[in-house]
Amino acid sequence: MNIIPTIGMETHVELKTNSKMFCRCYVLDTDLPNESLCPTCLGLPGSLPAPNKKAIEFITLLALSTNCSITNEGMFHRKNYFYPDLPKNYQISQFDLPVGTEGSLEIVVDGEFETVEIERVHMEEDTGKSTHIGSGRIDSATSTHLDFNRAGIPLVEVVTKPLIKSSKEAVAYIEELRQLVIDLNISEGKLEKGNLRFDANISVAYEGDKELGTKVEIKNMNSLKSLEKAIEYEISRQTKMLKSKENIIQETRHWDEKKEVTSSMRSKEGSADYRYFSDPDIPNMILSEDFVNTIKATIPVLPSEKRKVFMDSGLSIEDSNNLGKSSNWIGDFYIQVSEITKDSKASFNFITGELQGQLRKLELLSLPNWVTAKNLSEIIILVNNDKISFTSAKEILTKLIEEKLEPEEYAVSNNLIQENDIDEIGKIVLEVIDSNEEVIIRISDGEDKLIGFLVGQIIKLSKGKVNPSVAKELLLKEINS
Amino acid sequence: MENHKLSISKINKLFKDKELKPSELYDEVFERAASTESIIHGHLTLFQEENIQKALESNTRYEKGEHLGPLDGIPIAIKDNINISGHVTSCSSKMLANYVSPYDATVITKLKKEGVLFTGKTNLDEFAMGSSTENSAFGPTKNPWDPSRVPGGSSGGSAAVVSAGSAIASLGSDTGGSIRQPASFCGVVGFKPTYGTVSRYGLIAFASSLDQIGPITNNVEDAKLIFNSISGHDPKDATSLIATKTEQPNLNKAKIGIIKELMEDGISEDAKEEVYKVAKLMEAEGHEIVEVSLPLTKMSISIYYLIAPAECSANLSRFDGVRYGARVSGNTSSEMMELTRAEGFGPEVKKRILLGTYALSAGYYDAYYGQALKARAMMKKEFTDIYKQVDYVISPTTPSDPFKFGEKSDNQLEMYMSDLCTIPANLVGMPAISIPTGLSSQGLPLSVQIMSPANTDNTLLDFSQTLQSLVSFIDKPILNRTEK
Repeated sequence: MNIIPTIGMETHVELKTNSKMFCRCYVLDTDLPNESLCPTCLGLPGSLPAPNKKAIEFITLLALSTNCSITNEGMFHRKNYFYPDLPKNYQISQFDLPVGTEGSLEIVVDGEFETVEIERVHMEEDTGKSTHIGSGRIDSATSTHLDFNRAGIPLVEVVTKPLIKSSKEAVAYIEELRQLVIDLNISEGKLEKGNLRFDANISVAYEGDKELGTKVEIKNMNSLKSLEKAIEYEISRQTKMLKSKENIIQETRHWDEKKEVTSSMRSKEGSADYRYFSDPDIPNMILSEDFVNTIKATIPVLPSEKRKVFMDSGLSIEDSNNLGKSSNWIGDFYIQVSEITKDSKASFNFITGELQGQLRKLELLSLPNWVTAKNLSEIIILVNNDKISFTSAKEILTKLIEEKLEPEEYAVSNNLIQENDIDEIGKIVLEVIDSNEEVIIRISDGEDKLIGFLVGQIIKLSKGKVNPSVAKELLLKEINS
Repeated sequence: MENHKLSISKINKLFKDKELKPSELYDEVFERAASTESIIHGHLTLFQEENIQKALESNTRYEKGEHLGPLDGIPIAIKDNINISGHVTSCSSKMLANYVSPYDATVITKLKKEGVLFTGKTNLDEFAMGSSTENSAFGPTKNPWDPSRVPGGSSGGSAAVVSAGSAIASLGSDTGGSIRQPASFCGVVGFKPTYGTVSRYGLIAFASSLDQIGPITNNVEDAKLIFNSISGHDPKDATSLIATKTEQPNLNKAKIGIIKELMEDGISEDAKEEVYKVAKLMEAEGHEIVEVSLPLTKMSISIYYLIAPAECSANLSRFDGVRYGARVSGNTSSEMMELTRAEGFGPEVKKRILLGTYALSAGYYDAYYGQALKARAMMKKEFTDIYKQVDYVISPTTPSDPFKFGEKSDNQLEMYMSDLCTIPANLVGMPAISIPTGLSSQGLPLSVQIMSPANTDNTLLDFSQTLQSLVSFIDKPILNRTEK
């Protein structure tokens, strides 16, 4: 019998608001600790939370963009637990009335569409940051340093239903969510900065079993690579246990990046009772129809819609998905170019391969204004019509980024136009054959690799204007005749 | 010259007419403090030295005719759970005995702008939990009418200092009667405004959905003056109301309901008599008196002792020794927190935290906290319906006159029952005022409480002012009598 894994993802998205969730402290990107603090985010006695309207707009935008139903009366709750980096020893979060519920997100896995079902999208405040000295854990540390810059930064938690089937799917989901929050302009979306932080709930069961297996939560995965590896590891660990009829316990496990294993953090049986209750300091959030409609009107082109446009232009799902991860202007530029060239694949390859490669090399964030869809298309069309070689195309592109030029004119004046006239090429081929009699004999004796040498001679003689494949074809015809 | 019992408007007139200087009143108030504090212990800290300069600045403003308003130069005492920047805010707890607030509460910012002179911080039951100030970690406050009796609580210090004359007025906070009950016990006026009219920013929370700051004063007029200067929308307090002008003064012919359930068992004859006496006086003025029934008021103690502890259990979690306040070291961070809380909190605070933690626990929430929320909503509706029939409801403020020290500290339920009449206003969120109207058979002050619908604070205050003019309450705490 097959053993099937089931995965649910919980992702925290740090919003890029100017100020924190419940006070007007700046959200700072700094390594200096405790630079952006006030009585409220430090939990000083007598301070009160005043919700950030921008954050509510952002979460509504995300909930709408993941096809969630919007709760018209949202509520903030207090989640009670003691920890030194939690200033009030309760976290303001949402409980039974989250902003969004029952949504979905289209993702691309192995060139196919899949749908991830979203259970809830809710708003909460971040905690401070603990740095334990002398140990990874607080109770064995010699001291713990607390930085409250992060305390109170608005977070959105996106929780999926436990319906994800593989590590690849989980990774594709995080990639899609990341692209979504970037396109919505509500988060920096940088994994390495902790703008997106994710935990995975994993269980395994025999195929056909009605109930899911015991759930294990994995924490501390800091990159997509570690997410993939941790899930793979955990699936195989649990699969082995299930096969040998060992008891899988419900617990939280820590992913060890160096050892590439998960280890037990704490058992869920003794887990905290968070004693959620509605926060009396914050009145209910009424998300009126008008408000929701206003936000709806601001939804930009979503990654799934971008994919659709690219696919309509003729690209595969995979290429469309990859192109969607580039800056929006690249996608727009691609659409303009492919409309002129009528060759989506060639346009995609040239833009994502050569053009983006050049920009990266030159550390340019945008194109010089003389590089237009028209003159870039001209280069692609020259290649497509066998008028220039791909090598020449790259040369023209490099020049074009340096200075304003007309690609075809440049190709002509720099002798880059290929010779496609069979008679003309034939003459050159014969010339080469005549002057390389010895080589021809060796080829006849079976030294095939010398064909390339002769092709090179032909191209050299033509000053690079002969199309190599045509030259080779003619050469072989002559030798074999 | 005795100025400390004059109304603020009279004092202001004396200032403007240059018959009295703010610094002279300031000195007089601190002379009162010097002669009374050793007996009543109303102030935990006195700001005499540090505010002399401010009193002199106020003198100058009056001399130049540039005073900031009617409260300029008025010495006001502040309950020690309201933050004043640079001063200790102890909440009468060992936990915060040395905690200096780095910021001003919104009410303090407002009063500073008006040129108020703070006399100091006043004693309270620890974290405002109690009805007698016996729960203060720094010793109780005594009733100026009889130092063997409690001043009430939790704002006992704030009520006692106004009664004793060591402040012209004071700010208290009221979660279940903590302004009105001590005001009644000390024979002064106590006003709890509509929930949300006065910003709670900077008030150290006990129960956030019930807490409200309000004035304790010698008369209703002063209460109105202070209320209007501390109220108003505050963006820092999300529960703060945006002012709505829905008040419809009806001073001539009001309909007043005596709450039947607050005139039954558990209320002393003296206390009931005061209500009837006041009712007769008002009837004679042409107002209509009826009896109204609000059955759920009988449940208010039960509702309150689930909601308030539940909220306080979370509100007081932040006192853990990590960032400020007392710290008792331990081998681990959690041990440090445990020991700090074990050492820092007094028994009543611990009891309420435990009660609230239990009421919110998984498996108990629905039976306790959830039920209390439902009952509270029902009680609100009961009052809304009654206010369709009457303009005001009236009751005693307290079931009896002030009790003696130790008298109720062994009987918790009886102690809790002393807030029976005052709790409904907090649960419902409506304004309520306590006005001293007479003396008990023991010669101690008794008050009546008047309540009106939410957001009719000024109407209630105006009406109360006319009522106050009808009763001939003589403010004679024993401290004043013995001096003369």
